[in-house]
Amino acid sequence: MIAVENLTVRFGGVMPIDDLTATLTAPVAGLIGPNSAGKTTLLNVISGFVSPESGSVAVDGVRLDGQSPVSRVRAGLRRSFQTEQVVEDLTIYANIAGIADHVASPGTFRREIDAALEFAGIGPLSGALGRTLNLYQRRLAEIAKCVVGKPRLVLLDEPAAGLSDEESATLRTLVLRIPKEFGAQVLLIDHDVELIRSMCTETLVLDYGKMLALGATDDVLARPDVRRAYLGEM
Amino acid sequence: MSNIAEIARSTTAARRGAPSTATLLQIPAVMIVLTVFVAVVANSYWLVAITSAFAVSLAAAGVAVVYGQLGLVSLCQYALVGVGGWVTLRIGHAFHPPFEISLLAGGLASGLVGIVFGLPALRLKGLYLAIVTLMLAGFFQVLVSAWGFPDGGDGVLGRAQGLGRKMLEGPAISSTPTAYFVYVAAFATAAFVLVQWHRMAKPGRAWALIRKGEHVALAAGVNLLRYKVWAFALSGFLAGISGALLVGNVGQLDARAFTAPDSLTLFALSVVGGVFNWYGALIAGLLLRAVPSLLTDLGVNGYVTLGIFGAALFQALSTAPAGIAGQISGLIARLLMGRRRGGGDAP
Repeated sequence: MIAVENLTVRFGGVMPIDDLTATLTAPVAGLIGPNSAGKTTLLNVISGFVSPESGSVAVDGVRLDGQSPVSRVRAGLRRSFQTEQVVEDLTIYANIAGIADHVASPGTFRREIDAALEFAGIGPLSGALGRTLNLYQRRLAEIAKCVVGKPRLVLLDEPAAGLSDEESATLRTLVLRIPKEFGAQVLLIDHDVELIRSMCTETLVLDYGKMLALGATDDVLARPDVRRAYLGEM
Repeated sequence: MSNIAEIARSTTAARRGAPSTATLLQIPAVMIVLTVFVAVVANSYWLVAITSAFAVSLAAAGVAVVYGQLGLVSLCQYALVGVGGWVTLRIGHAFHPPFEISLLAGGLASGLVGIVFGLPALRLKGLYLAIVTLMLAGFFQVLVSAWGFPDGGDGVLGRAQGLGRKMLEGPAISSTPTAYFVYVAAFATAAFVLVQWHRMAKPGRAWALIRKGEHVALAAGVNLLRYKVWAFALSGFLAGISGALLVGNVGQLDARAFTAPDSLTLFALSVVGGVFNWYGALIAGLLLRAVPSLLTDLGVNGYVTLGIFGAALFQALSTAPAGIAGQISGLIARLLMGRRRGGGDAP
């Protein structure tokens, strides 16, 4: 469960998040909104990259304020970025190990990496260098990075960007398996409304840093104000 | 699913080029062959030049850590060689311990100074870090040209007057130039193995993530401070050992040889040699110390080397970012692949 309370983030005169209060409980929750709605900023606050001016975020009842990004990762926070971040000159195994180094226990290090590779379906690629992978394989590697070492909350920022429909569908089923198989909640940002509709039972819509709507995805997406803000319908 | 089958097929080819534990064994094997060859073939002029080339290659291995692994341009590595040399001489003349103790003291002191010189890197990178570290190299140049290197005198600076000047005794177990060359080669081998292990293990993965982006590293749980400091400490330590080995070569160091431009040249040649393969540092050492000797041997003015190095750096930066070592490794990979493909196609 992610609980955001009176959260305000200010960059100079701009307020990407403006007094936001919302609680997300679905195993796979969606976060949508037009450009500059504050979606990525909210992810950055949860990751600890951005300090809010006021307000707080709690995950499973534990408040994150004051925790360093690294200690949040150790506590089970994982995230992907809008652009994939596979390291070119490390093998895929080493790419996953780079996280496992800091979150997996030494006794199960290898097993946890293998399980993550297996889950993402890239076990056969473990010895390949990052630079030899195509975008789809990189996106799968990002998923593997997010599930290694007992994740509790996985933040995915447009995990299927640039993929074909077929590839995107495979990725979708993978992400849907995360809550059950790893016991982690998933928070998903995407521009693709269909993707959100098919994956998230609960969705938060942001607009100019404020909450526009929060609730069951179908209800939220049917609301006229959401359609206006997000789809540009009048 | 067809995608995964495709992945599996592409993997065997992709695996090549990834470092493996076998590399750790290759290093001593290659170094032993090379060392025996030089020890047998080289005359005394060349032996001194190549000994100092091997010694400098430790400092280049340090550049490979900070630049090759972290992606940071630090231009004070030769000043750290000087720090290591200074402390080695100071400890050696003051307490007359076995050479190895002075050497270790030089390495550790340089590692500490390396951390201090690396502090700007916690906030700066790119051009700004390059400028700040070059200024630190200039600072060391000023200090060492005023103070000189210790030569057996009293006081904190250990400077002697006139006839009181002494050379520092080298290691007890290597009294001849050939034996000292083997001694230095052993240290170089150990240093290359140490750096290669770092590349392949937890620190190397953390450095690669930092190089990719600090946010990426943080999101992976990497403690930025710890791993950056460790890289600078390791790099400084290697530079210090390099300085100590240069001391052991002739018993003294010349203060005029530790200017800021010397740090620049060391950095440039480390890039030309190659910062991603272990033998790039060796090539850098040879370029820095053996090529000028070769030109002198051929009767060419030593300053010509500066022009050649400039051209080589331009070539490396524009067409071969992995340096000469990267080109050699690419060539070997192509040869192996060609042979394997040839064998595979045969009925």
